[in-house]
Amino acid sequence: MKKFLFIIMLLPTLAFAEKVVVEVPGMVCQMCVYGMKENFSSAVNDAEKDVVVDLEKKTVTLNLKKKITDDEIKKRVTDAGYNAKKITWIKSE
Amino acid sequence: MIKFITLIFVVLVGCAHAHPVIYKGGWVYQGSFMPQMNEMNVSYTFHPKWSVVMNSNRFEMVDEYQDVTLGVNTLLKRWLQNDSQGNMYFGAHIGQYEDNNGDGQVNHAFLMGDWENREKYVLFKTKKYFYDGKETQDYLGRYGFAPFVAGMNRLQAWAILQVYYYEEQSREAMVTPMLRFFYKNVLWEMGSSTKGDSFLTLMIHY
Repeated sequence: MKKFLFIIMLLPTLAFAEKVVVEVPGMVCQMCVYGMKENFSSAVNDAEKDVVVDLEKKTVTLNLKKKITDDEIKKRVTDAGYNAKKITWIKSE
Repeated sequence: MIKFITLIFVVLVGCAHAHPVIYKGGWVYQGSFMPQMNEMNVSYTFHPKWSVVMNSNRFEMVDEYQDVTLGVNTLLKRWLQNDSQGNMYFGAHIGQYEDNNGDGQVNHAFLMGDWENREKYVLFKTKKYFYDGKETQDYLGRYGFAPFVAGMNRLQAWAILQVYYYEEQSREAMVTPMLRFFYKNVLWEMGSSTKGDSFLTLMIHY
């Protein structure tokens, strides 16, 4: 019973994990987009794993540790030198 | 004094021409070395369009010239297409120079444009030097292509042809084929001019 209650208590914590895919045109070289990891580092647990840049698809996938607004995402992309074209939220289970 | 500062600078960073403005909060440590000339930069981008920079140049082709300057760089315009980007930068620096004829204040101003996609890269940069009552100007052009396209966190290689001309120091253009590699936030270039002078660039974004 204690184990069951412990798992129930953990569930809200797990529910905070939010995934978002940001379309960012113009990302052509990995060195140029290094700032993307730097600028999102405070919004994720591990920038190496949780900020995934796909130069082929021109997307940045973020596994956020806390919810942030679309405007905050746009600002961080702008600080990295780019513009966010489209933001798609994907709820994780 | 300038020699001492330059020496410290070389030891600390070692290098050249790259990205005058990067991402907000980013540092660039960069240097390019040839036997007869060096250029080194340390810059900090405090705004997505502005950076402050410490720059140093050394030429020993005709006169022994060297300088150390402080200044600002700005991203004038960035064109972002889906699979390419182009940039136009401007910078202005002020500092001290020293050559065979004496020393004094020097000012730099440069204009730089580049365009790249994942397979091709072109760059043009011209820089003016104002010192000792005269204006001099150098020109740099580059064309590069990537023999393969690498994803994130993979080693990327480029073949680049660089042409550099500075009338004040040389009557001839310096042509340097080189290889560029980058991995994550580290870039290095190695080459040799058509006259056999070795070329090395190191750059770190941090």
